[in-house]
Amino acid sequence: MGKLFTSISLLLATSGLASAAHQLTPESNVLVGSREGLAITNSMIMVWIATILIVLFCQAATKKMKMIPAGFQNFAEWIIESLYDFFGGILGDHLVKRTFWFFGGTFLLILITNWLGLVPGVGTLGIADSHGHVTFLLRGGNADLNMTAAMSVIFAILWFYWAFSENGSKGFFAHIFAPKGDFSGAMRIGMIGIFFLVGILEIVSIFIRPVALSFRLYGNVFGGEQTLESLMALGGKYFAFAPALPFMFIELLVGLVQALVFTLLSAVFLKLICDHGDHDEEH
Amino acid sequence: MFTILAEGANPFTKLLNDFGVTWPLFIAQVINFLIVLFVLKKFAFGPIQAMLEQRKNRISEGEEKLKRIETQLSESEERTAAAIEEANSTAQRLITEAKESAATLSEQKTQEAIASAQGILTKAEQAAKAERDQMVAELKQDFGRLVAATTANVTGKVLNDDDNKRINEEAVASIDA
Repeated sequence: MGKLFTSISLLLATSGLASAAHQLTPESNVLVGSREGLAITNSMIMVWIATILIVLFCQAATKKMKMIPAGFQNFAEWIIESLYDFFGGILGDHLVKRTFWFFGGTFLLILITNWLGLVPGVGTLGIADSHGHVTFLLRGGNADLNMTAAMSVIFAILWFYWAFSENGSKGFFAHIFAPKGDFSGAMRIGMIGIFFLVGILEIVSIFIRPVALSFRLYGNVFGGEQTLESLMALGGKYFAFAPALPFMFIELLVGLVQALVFTLLSAVFLKLICDHGDHDEEH
Repeated sequence: MFTILAEGANPFTKLLNDFGVTWPLFIAQVINFLIVLFVLKKFAFGPIQAMLEQRKNRISEGEEKLKRIETQLSESEERTAAAIEEANSTAQRLITEAKESAATLSEQKTQEAIASAQGILTKAEQAAKAERDQMVAELKQDFGRLVAATTANVTGKVLNDDDNKRINEEAVASIDA
């Protein structure tokens, strides 16, 4: 390892050192292993750092748990309770009890990963080999399409599981294909045909959802990183931070909004299929 | 998604490859994300949610207890009001009975006092009369003896028993007259 470090050099891409050759690429960098096999990438490291931070925060907050919360415990409980109430408002009491572990965990993970992506060194600190190819040590967790696709696909699988367990197979297909509203006679027959076609569209939309979720999150985060990097290049050697500074605040907001959008849409998709009332708005 | 990831000249597959999506990395991220979710549930949300649940239960228990206490209080108030009502009525009845009893007793005692006073008065009168009679009798004897003594002194005659008796009787007769 020491030999490796002697043959490569650490690059600080801040302060205008980043050149076109050292810019972030759409794909993550493999730190251990290979792209064709078992691997640890720089985005995985970021996800684990975010996870460890969340766990440490919660563990510190719950170290001396009291029935009447104060200070740190109060703050942590406020976050978790607010999230629980937020998703409870969308999903209802029953569903949120079953699914909060996913939505709460995913929201906090996306949020902290997004914000960690703005910490100096992430996406800029790397190891260059003799050919000038840079392996960045850290990368925004959601700036890796593999990560966002993994989250979306896991949600899609869970969505099917929750939808079937809540509705039953008959209820599930009735939800998608059965006509909504009271119709009789020829109108009813026509509506059955129309809703069958709508159901097919719905099936298509169900399979497109994970793609949309993953590309939306990835696109926003990766796009943000690219924007910051390009703006930093405008600042010259000593003032690289200046053009990017206002956009850092925007990226903080984007990080929060994207975490909200991903989990909010997921929750709404689940609610729509599990809702036993009128759900025409989905179509 | 699995299909589009399959090998081939599919433009979407090429697009995904351009973005660095490969099967091994994708599966690694799936496993990674599942482990992360488990860790977050177990070590981050678990204790806080347990505490929130515990507090929620405690609050609902407290509310239930409060409702029970309120019900008990209202029942107790009703019981107290009924008891007070009953006590008032009993007290009223007792007061009425006591008043009636006191009136009867008072009347009885008055009568007894009157009778007793009457008895005392009669006895006093009788005693006074007896005393006076005795005094009169003694006075008569003294007067007789005085008359006899005076007569003996005036006449210078020694009076015998018959004389004394006669003089006494005459003196008493004169007093009675």
